[in-house]
Amino acid sequence: MQDIAGVLVNTVISAALYATMAYGLAVIYGVMRIINLAHAGLMMLGAYATLALFTRFGLDPFLSLLVVGPLFFLIGVVLYRLVVRRLPRSGSTPSMESLLLLFGVWLVLQNLAYVIWTGDTQSILTSYTMKSVPVLGVRVGVPSLFVFAGSVLSLVFLNVVLKATYLGKAIRAVTQNRDAALLAGVDADRISAMAFGLGTAFAGVAGGMLSSLYAFTPDFGRSFLLKAFCIIVLGGMESVTGVAAGALVLAFLENGLGSWTTLPTSLQDAASFTLLFVTLVAFPQGLPGLAARVRAVFK
Amino acid sequence: MKRLPLAAGAALAVWTLAAPLFLERGTLNDVWNLAFAVILASAWNILGGFAGQVSLGYSAFLGIGAYTTVLLSLKGINPFWTLPLGAVLAALFSVVIGLPAFRLRGPYFTIATIGVGEAVRVVASSVSFTGGSSGLRMPAGSFDFTLNYEAMAALAIVTVVIAALVRRSAFGHALAAIKQDIDAAESLGVDSTRFKLGAHALSAALVALAGSLYAINFQYIAPGSVFDFRLSLAIVLAPIVGGVGTVAGPVLGAIVFSTLQIKLLSVPALRDSYLFIYGGLLILVMLYEPKGLVGLARRLVARVRRTPAAPAEAARAA
Repeated sequence: MQDIAGVLVNTVISAALYATMAYGLAVIYGVMRIINLAHAGLMMLGAYATLALFTRFGLDPFLSLLVVGPLFFLIGVVLYRLVVRRLPRSGSTPSMESLLLLFGVWLVLQNLAYVIWTGDTQSILTSYTMKSVPVLGVRVGVPSLFVFAGSVLSLVFLNVVLKATYLGKAIRAVTQNRDAALLAGVDADRISAMAFGLGTAFAGVAGGMLSSLYAFTPDFGRSFLLKAFCIIVLGGMESVTGVAAGALVLAFLENGLGSWTTLPTSLQDAASFTLLFVTLVAFPQGLPGLAARVRAVFK
Repeated sequence: MKRLPLAAGAALAVWTLAAPLFLERGTLNDVWNLAFAVILASAWNILGGFAGQVSLGYSAFLGIGAYTTVLLSLKGINPFWTLPLGAVLAALFSVVIGLPAFRLRGPYFTIATIGVGEAVRVVASSVSFTGGSSGLRMPAGSFDFTLNYEAMAALAIVTVVIAALVRRSAFGHALAAIKQDIDAAESLGVDSTRFKLGAHALSAALVALAGSLYAINFQYIAPGSVFDFRLSLAIVLAPIVGGVGTVAGPVLGAIVFSTLQIKLLSVPALRDSYLFIYGGLLILVMLYEPKGLVGLARRLVARVRRTPAAPAEAARAA
């Protein structure tokens, strides 16, 4: 029983963080049909930004998210205006050019970080890093709880933006049908810039939160990028609930493998890659597609 | 004019093979690196350039070749005899991966290959027979650099020739058709999965051969070296910068790539960050000249002649 409670608590906690990472990708994908490989580099940069604020100004890593979020929004908008916008418009499927271009951006960011911060492993140690508290009879690290809180707040924020503001409505409109949105007078270029900024802000915030859980180097972020891909592929790329469901499935699989099997920890990372591969191949429509198929069978 | 590239290629091949006669060891080492890069770039280009299936998981094949060689050499087998087996294993693995992965198109295929490459690296560093993350050392013995150099140089030449032959063959035309419009190709009777699998296996085998020679040269391999994601990157970047889908592009890209790399790696401050340049190059190429250096050269030639490229040339370049 104890075991099950442990897995469930940890699943929910990691799922919230995973969803934060994945939403950034999903918003950009939805509006621009671009697979943002630079997401990993931006998460890494978010971790370093948090570290810099922590060491320079002694700012708590979780408070610094309030700085990192807006800062990365600006970085995203600039990145869009300088680079991404110059890409030839692709149709309904993402183009190879956009993938490789953002891959180049990732490389530049990564190696910029090597120049600025060297390849040494960094970590953020606060007074509560090693502390833990019981939750439903399971001991959970305090940073993990803060990460959970931070993730939930960011997700609520995103939901409010998407549901209640003009920007959010425009983002959803462009995601659903770009041409129709243009006809209705939505400035798609502006919305794309905003969406890219929003996605980048989420990458920065996710990276900032990751920095209080894990040690990091400029190479940081790749395995998390794959997790985020896995989630949006599972979640069906565009649906908000789908992303949450995908995050839960992946987090459950990882935590379950860790507790109920003797698989070495290093192999657990392979779980997400395997799930990604299996999902892409077996049901590329993700969970929504799978659900539709199951419904069709039972009808 | 048509025969010029052929003559230049032949001269380059002869020069490379004869290089041990007049080059000193250090320079020869650089040429070895260059040949290695040419093999990886040209082999990757068979699938990534000719058929347009961009894979970021090629370090898996390199690693399979390298590990096959080291593991069998530790059993007392002459390292050079292990090359064919490594190539066959890599080709088989490419089919196992390709059968499901080729159902995916474009960027989705690319993402799946990142997953494959990472999974292979993670598995190799956690199972015991590969020596885990600490890697494996070749059995102590005499190591003949000149022999290894000649093997690498010969393999580079063979790879480029194979790429050129594939390009001209019916197989190559089928790949080009798949790249341009897979649905149209299918409707004309091209069994796209079979051709993609064939191209994947061929390029995987060539990369594995290079991996075996890499292991023999460095005498030590670890998941962090042969399965490194940066290696997969380097494999992809050279042909893209040079010009995907052409025979000369990957060779040109590999030459530029490894020359730059040698220069940059000799600057201590840039040792970790030399990929910076390639990230920048990749961005520039994608924004301004998706056909790479070869495309740039063609445009310049066309401008100098002040006539548009002949239709046949343009069609071939597409």
